[in-house]
Amino acid sequence: MSVDVGSAGGATAKAKSVLTWEKQEHLVKLAILILAAVLSFATRLFSVLRFESVIHEFDPYFNYRTTRFLAEQGFYKFHNWFDDRAWYPLGRIIGGTIYPGLMVTSAALYRIMWLLNITVDIRNVCVFLAPFFSSLTTLVTYALTKEIHSTGAGLVAAALISIVPGYISRSVAGSYDNEGIAIFCMLFTYYLWIKAVKSGTIFWSAMSALAYFYMVSSWGGYVFLINLIPLHVLALMFTGRFSHRIYIAYSTLYCVGTILSMQISFVGFQPIQSSEHMLALGVFGLCQIHAFVDYLRSRMPKEHFDVLFKTLVSSVLTVVLLLGTVLTITGKVSPWTGRFYSLLDPSYAKNHIPIIASVSEHQPTSWSSFYFDLQILVFLFPAGLYFCFSKLTDANIFIILYGVTSIYFAGVMVRLMLVLAPVMCVLSGIAISHLLAKYIKSVDAVAPKPTESKRQHKKLELQSGGVKSEVAIGFVTTITLMLVVYTFHCTWVTSEAYSSPSIVLSARSHDGGRIIFDDFREAYYWLQMNTPEDARIMSWWDYGYQITAMANRTILVDNNTWNNTHISRVGQAMASSEEKAYEIMRELDVDYVLVIFGGLTGYSSDDINKFLWMVRIGGSTDRGAHIKEKDYYAANGEFRVDKEGSPTLLNCLMYKMCYYRFGQMYTEGGKAPGYDRVRAAEIGNKDFELDVLEEAYTTEHWLVRIYKVKDLPNRGG
Amino acid sequence: METMQRYVSPVNPAVFPHLATVLLIIGTFFTAWFFIFVVSRNKQSKESTLIKELLISLCASIFLGFGILFLLLTVGIYV
Amino acid sequence: MNWNCLYLAIISCLLLLNSVKAEIINKNVERYLDLSSQLVKTTIKINAEDSAGVPIKEYVFTAKEANIAYISAKDALNNDLKLRKEQSNDDQRFVLTFEKALPKQTIQIETVSVGNVKPYPEEIKQNEKQLVKYAGLLYLYSKYKTVTQKTQIKLSSSNIISYTQVKPFSVSSNKIILGPYENIKALSDEQLAIHYENQTPFLTVNSLERTIEVSHWGNIAVKESIEMIHSGAKLKGSFSRYDFQKDGRQSGQSAVKSYRTYLPASATGVYYRDMNGNISTSNMNVQRDFIDLELRPRFPLFGGWKTQYILGYNVPSYEYLFSAGKNYQLKMRLIDHVHDNMAIDKAVINVILPEGSSNIELMTPYSIKRRQNEFIYTYLDTTGRPMISFSRSNLVENHISDFTLKYTFSRVSLLQEPFLLIGFIYFIFILTIIFLRLDFSIVSYHHNKSE
Repeated sequence: MSVDVGSAGGATAKAKSVLTWEKQEHLVKLAILILAAVLSFATRLFSVLRFESVIHEFDPYFNYRTTRFLAEQGFYKFHNWFDDRAWYPLGRIIGGTIYPGLMVTSAALYRIMWLLNITVDIRNVCVFLAPFFSSLTTLVTYALTKEIHSTGAGLVAAALISIVPGYISRSVAGSYDNEGIAIFCMLFTYYLWIKAVKSGTIFWSAMSALAYFYMVSSWGGYVFLINLIPLHVLALMFTGRFSHRIYIAYSTLYCVGTILSMQISFVGFQPIQSSEHMLALGVFGLCQIHAFVDYLRSRMPKEHFDVLFKTLVSSVLTVVLLLGTVLTITGKVSPWTGRFYSLLDPSYAKNHIPIIASVSEHQPTSWSSFYFDLQILVFLFPAGLYFCFSKLTDANIFIILYGVTSIYFAGVMVRLMLVLAPVMCVLSGIAISHLLAKYIKSVDAVAPKPTESKRQHKKLELQSGGVKSEVAIGFVTTITLMLVVYTFHCTWVTSEAYSSPSIVLSARSHDGGRIIFDDFREAYYWLQMNTPEDARIMSWWDYGYQITAMANRTILVDNNTWNNTHISRVGQAMASSEEKAYEIMRELDVDYVLVIFGGLTGYSSDDINKFLWMVRIGGSTDRGAHIKEKDYYAANGEFRVDKEGSPTLLNCLMYKMCYYRFGQMYTEGGKAPGYDRVRAAEIGNKDFELDVLEEAYTTEHWLVRIYKVKDLPNRGG
Repeated sequence: METMQRYVSPVNPAVFPHLATVLLIIGTFFTAWFFIFVVSRNKQSKESTLIKELLISLCASIFLGFGILFLLLTVGIYV
Repeated sequence: MNWNCLYLAIISCLLLLNSVKAEIINKNVERYLDLSSQLVKTTIKINAEDSAGVPIKEYVFTAKEANIAYISAKDALNNDLKLRKEQSNDDQRFVLTFEKALPKQTIQIETVSVGNVKPYPEEIKQNEKQLVKYAGLLYLYSKYKTVTQKTQIKLSSSNIISYTQVKPFSVSSNKIILGPYENIKALSDEQLAIHYENQTPFLTVNSLERTIEVSHWGNIAVKESIEMIHSGAKLKGSFSRYDFQKDGRQSGQSAVKSYRTYLPASATGVYYRDMNGNISTSNMNVQRDFIDLELRPRFPLFGGWKTQYILGYNVPSYEYLFSAGKNYQLKMRLIDHVHDNMAIDKAVINVILPEGSSNIELMTPYSIKRRQNEFIYTYLDTTGRPMISFSRSNLVENHISDFTLKYTFSRVSLLQEPFLLIGFIYFIFILTIIFLRLDFSIVSYHHNKSE
């Protein structure tokens, strides 16, 4: 990164004699932007270059599958799609339960390319969509920061965001998720909003409403946006900066944006009903009142106005409060949902909803992951905030609000680090640009006149910000070093942490070569090829999307965890004894059961390690009342799979499926057969046969095990 | 059949990558020139630079065109 | 036409009746049956002579075997004989015509048939051996009398459960010799059944789609998409990975873990993938005149299990494309080796020629079914690339031979693609120029200033 900028600088130096300052500036600006955009695309390609061009996360397989459907069948069919491959026997109305933005974007790109005879595969469109959009994000960040601060800050911010790990984590090639395009939409909306606020024209605010619509169509996180913008307006009101410009900008954005957002069938009437959107509505009302009051004030004597104002405020407040309570009680306004609470109170979900707590990305963020994902930005962020505070403008207030709220939310949920990363880059960009602009002048100014008199020197120092040249050089060097370190850190994080696919696992063998565990695809392909077309497969919900997409078979539960009781039923089956489980499986028409087992390879996020969640979720409904978490702990309160483990655990279906015939297997030298390498224990129950299931397939490294549910035994006569 | 020659590519496939690189660099150079020329053009004197602009962009597009072609051939899209 | 046939039939009937004296007899017949794989490869040596010394011009070979995929006949000098196929009620007749009519003829006939070695029992457990049954004829089925004949049968293993025993016969390890038998009547169809162990891979390619894309920039891209099934004894009961790994020889012997396929020596950029992406398990050994590719399917193929994959590679054009001026000639294999002793149910071959090719003429080594020609639109195409498509069912290794495709193509068309690109880019530049010269503001800037 730094090298690239350096070379651009070198080119400028050569061209100095030929080009005017203006030309040079254009050239440098263009070069930096293009380089940053290209870099942000290129740095996300690690996984594709190391492995291959496939979707390689678990969740995005659903998006991939729906995109394929959309590209093949057209939007109308997609909109009305009832998917009977998922949530057997309930099914799922796909068109009405997703944010279609991502699929529509890639399908549109795909169609356009085919129209131009560029016959790429839809898979490749999906794989490279996120990097492509991060390039666009880089450009939009430049534009946004330029609006807020200056061109220089914009360029730095663009360069920073192109490689910030917090954003890369969600947008590497092959991770085809909503967030990949949503961040672009969000920043684009912000940019247009700032434009609208600054200009006060309907054009820009209508544009920002359109961008907001795109954002709503692509990610559930739009709620953050529709709260942040009203918050901005509110803050402007309180600071006495409310003006016609803001009135026009917000009224247009809110009206057009809300109507547009209601066109997304998944969103529906939420924008006017749910409490998450109430701030926007309230601020909209307040805007009208504020404008009206301003109008009255300009027309009335002061005394009259004061009386009127007081009565109006008190009556309006009571009416609003009354209405609010009535609507909440009658259920017209949806009560505070679990996800909302978990945003405000990190421990809420963990205590109340096991299924939310079981997802690792819903956990609170640790300090180390802040540093890991943002590095120096963490330290530059306050500096940027300071510079914004020191010169408050309408736009600056926005970025301050954005920074402060997002850092809070990022602290609550790991996943929201994504929202924080861009504003970190923007504010750090401002800080760096500000500091460098200040100090670099001193570096230059002193150099040509070393023999000036002391007085003149001092004068010069004052002019150039009052810094000695040595200090300035030192400072600039430090900043440069920090940026270089940042670059290395980002590249390292990207390559080590965020570019390892989860469908293909790799490990180092003893001789240093790479071993690839391609077991997931092996198992899914086996399912696709060698089971009946309508076979129903039971697995824990984590693998649902993958199975429907890669094996094209019907599954019971998937990653869209909308029906808690159904998931709970599956959890009960896994946690019950064989006979009990057989009843449940017959009830659910299960043909095959799939489990993930890492005991042979040492893959730690397997089903045995997730098993306690299955027990908890299974026991959380009425029908699973007989499943109690403490039955699965050993006498000393630990969760163990060896001889000490609880008999309930050692005889439940999940245990048996994972360890069937594993007791004879030698896994590690010097250990008894049946040594589980993840739990580091020799399994407790070795010799058993399965009565109601038979092993249908086990992959090469035992990572995926598939069992067939036997038919009911024939009764004589 | 006997009169026929074995058919070889008009350009040796081994040089595709080098050719692509060189042509694209030249093409980018012309493009950059063009953009600087166009962006920082004086608004008042319009017609005098038109020919020059057209010529530069023609050069740029010829080099870029062949560059992209050989790039495609290099990556295995045989047009 | 019909009348002619009828006449011929009547005449031949008369001839048959009349030829009590002057008839063809098979003096000596030697049959070699190779049953060591899923295919039945038969080599028959016939010494035919006319009892009255009349020169033999034609000889009728009747095949009672079903699913004959390939047949060829040679004379004493190893020259190919012309074969004319006649379909009668339930057996196929091939009329062989000799170049020189002699009273004594030596004929060597080779046939390959598919699906006559059947797994028996049809379902086996994982650790059981695959047993197969061959049902054929004890004697050569011929419309002529045979004086002496002998049959040698080669099996895949010495484990023979049962076989038809008509004396004299002898067995030595995996070979059975039946005969010599003497004075066998014409059209005798005694059954021969052999039940034996056969662990060789029973793989059937259900469908093969081979796409050959010619580029005049010096490359021919070949892509084969293959659907394959293990057509041997089906797996009964469960599959145990433990047994399979612990004891590869005992358990799952008939399962196909990997197989070899051969590619041309000049092949580069080989890929092996399926719908879910790259299949990372394959080994490539470059030999002197071919590339030996060991393909491992994602999972071992047990009886009844299916798989699908795509195998592709590039070859340089000078290997297969010839030119003289505007005329071009593509000479390539119609199908290529998929696995040893392969049996392909149906193959579709598509040849995509560069844009602007015309006067296309196809010559194939054996009869094929032409399909609709199409136009393919892909990168930088305007009028589309012509695609020649044809199909054939029931193919075996003996069908690997070259087809020839002639077409004309003018070299100037090569420049079409770059010019398309150049035009497109230039168009963008011109748009930029125009865009920058337009003034979109409603009130003109100068006007504003003067006010």
